[in-house]
Amino acid sequence: MIRGRGYRAAMVRFRCAVTLARLARTLSRVAGRGGTAFPGLVALRIDPRVIEKLVASIPQGVVVVTGTNGKTTTAKMITTMLTGSGWTVLANRTGSNLARGVAAALVGAVRRGRLCVDAAVFEIDEAAVRDLGPRLRPRLIVVTNLARDQLDRYGELDTTARHVAAAVAASRIAVLAADDPMVARLGAGRSAESPEGGEIAWFGAVPEIKATLPDDRALYGYAEAGHAGPFDARLTRTTPDGDGQSIAVTVDRREVAVFLQVPGVYNGYNATAALLAVSRLGIDPVSAAVHLSAMAPAFGRGQVVDYHGRRVRLVLVKNPAGLNQAIRLLCDEPTPSAVLIAINDNHADGRDVSWLWDASVEALAATPHRFGAGGIRSADMALRFKYAGIDSWVERDDRRALERLVADAAAGDAVYLIPTYTAMLSFLELLLPGRSPEEVWS
Amino acid sequence: MTAPVVLVHLYPRRMNIYGDTGNVLALRRRLEWRGYPVRVVPVDEGNPFDLEEADIVVAGGGEDASQLAIAGDLVDRGAAVHRAVRDGVVFLTVCGTYQLFGRRFVTADGAEIPGIGVFAAETIGGGSRMIGNVVVDTPWGDLVGFENHSGRTALDPGQPSLGRVRRGFGNNDMTAEEGASVENCFGTYLHGSVLPKNPAFADELIRRALQRRNGAPVTLQPLDDAVERRAAATAATRP
Repeated sequence: MIRGRGYRAAMVRFRCAVTLARLARTLSRVAGRGGTAFPGLVALRIDPRVIEKLVASIPQGVVVVTGTNGKTTTAKMITTMLTGSGWTVLANRTGSNLARGVAAALVGAVRRGRLCVDAAVFEIDEAAVRDLGPRLRPRLIVVTNLARDQLDRYGELDTTARHVAAAVAASRIAVLAADDPMVARLGAGRSAESPEGGEIAWFGAVPEIKATLPDDRALYGYAEAGHAGPFDARLTRTTPDGDGQSIAVTVDRREVAVFLQVPGVYNGYNATAALLAVSRLGIDPVSAAVHLSAMAPAFGRGQVVDYHGRRVRLVLVKNPAGLNQAIRLLCDEPTPSAVLIAINDNHADGRDVSWLWDASVEALAATPHRFGAGGIRSADMALRFKYAGIDSWVERDDRRALERLVADAAAGDAVYLIPTYTAMLSFLELLLPGRSPEEVWS
Repeated sequence: MTAPVVLVHLYPRRMNIYGDTGNVLALRRRLEWRGYPVRVVPVDEGNPFDLEEADIVVAGGGEDASQLAIAGDLVDRGAAVHRAVRDGVVFLTVCGTYQLFGRRFVTADGAEIPGIGVFAAETIGGGSRMIGNVVVDTPWGDLVGFENHSGRTALDPGQPSLGRVRRGFGNNDMTAEEGASVENCFGTYLHGSVLPKNPAFADELIRRALQRRNGAPVTLQPLDDAVERRAAATAATRP
């Protein structure tokens, strides 16, 4: 094959991009700056196709995880099972889920000019997936669910669904949430034999479990059906167990029973999606599942932190569907517990807090728990509690709110801290002083 | 026993994007706390409910596709809505339904969605979105809420607004006008939800509805609104 000057120029640009990006990475580390995405920005500036070129050399390909809720946990579950099965896996662990973060992760894994990994697992923001999905040429994409999320950032849900559809069309295998009507639509009319796009694999839960967690459309009164079956993976049982749960899943006709360190039906769904994904990557799900039990919760996603003798259970919420999942978790908690819901409205949280009115806070009135409202918009949360007929205390200051939460529980008790994203960062600083989010993550 | 106050939630399935159920809940609770029984009636497309039997009608916002989906039904109800407005039924229309209570809404794609012309106003979609917390000076004090819309609404000369924007955009980015009102029918871009955080405005809607029922002015029993005021005060300082 004769390669001309154009090819050589492209190669030079690509090598420069990788080398300078790695230099930027070293320099920002020496300078002690946490700019995780900066090297990616450098690489993309020099060679805009650096992502496409690097992923082409990954032997087992790229796995993309997208959707509204559960991305981080599902991606971590897949990474854990692949790593446990002997693969070297690259992941964008620091929550840098835009193009520069992915480029930074890729460049950071280059050794002597080559990418020495078996596979990459990338959590990709729904707003970025339309552009990034096709560029990553995913071997497999997981769509966890699609619900309303910070409309002031993402725009309308139909737009998000179109973005995700573009990424699904560019993927060889799509692992889709059958029980979520918005996701089910992405796979409608497509089958394994269809010439358009690739293979579809469906995950869901048995009706008794599905009924406990209404999808976003059902929350707003739509009686829209998801994918009716057949299912490739199904969550058949979930039982609370300590700070986590035991689940049973049928995946590609194999029976898997496993303990998860994370509680909640929604995490049962995440595990089901992850098991189906590894199965479709050619790994036996029964042996891979063993590694799930050892997986610590992802940053703030069911993570338990010991604080003044109390077990603080952190459950990040970002949108009404996520808050409903947390509410479901509290409804399933029989022990009277102290609960703090802390709502911030910084850019990363979404400026608009209207979504609090869309969550089924009323369901908490029947629980034996004690409630507090915190965060910058603590008064909005207190107002939401008030109109749901629930008494709550209000504390705007995070440190005092945490003290009050802990004082509300006896030593040894579990307490629930349910924050939005930036509120979680602030509380983690109080719970684990001096630890960076990345350390807490890993 | 007094007949319950009929609170209609218009198009709850399609027009519900920004916590609009919070407005229904605020009216319901504030009536119930004062001892008035309430009946909430969801009315979606194709539901034959006669709006003249309502005491208060609340309708919310929706995506362009949702607006298109309900527009035909709303036009079919147009004459009934006009009769109800003339008869003094209280309406609160937010964002997407506010736009369709004007004469028409031309979307960013150039599609024209016909409105019912309760408000002498027209809306043009497209351009940059107007997003953020808003403070509006109204006859019932400051209204605090959140706006998120690309539609720009222009009121005809003589069409009263709901108030003047002190912070944020309101109807558009050229005038300081926010919302519109005709008789007991109000339109606004504010959600957040608007009524829980603005109890004086919520009570004004309740007072007007009870006055229409009783045929005489009503004095409402005061409530403790400390949390409401605190939430509004916080929102007013946020971007």
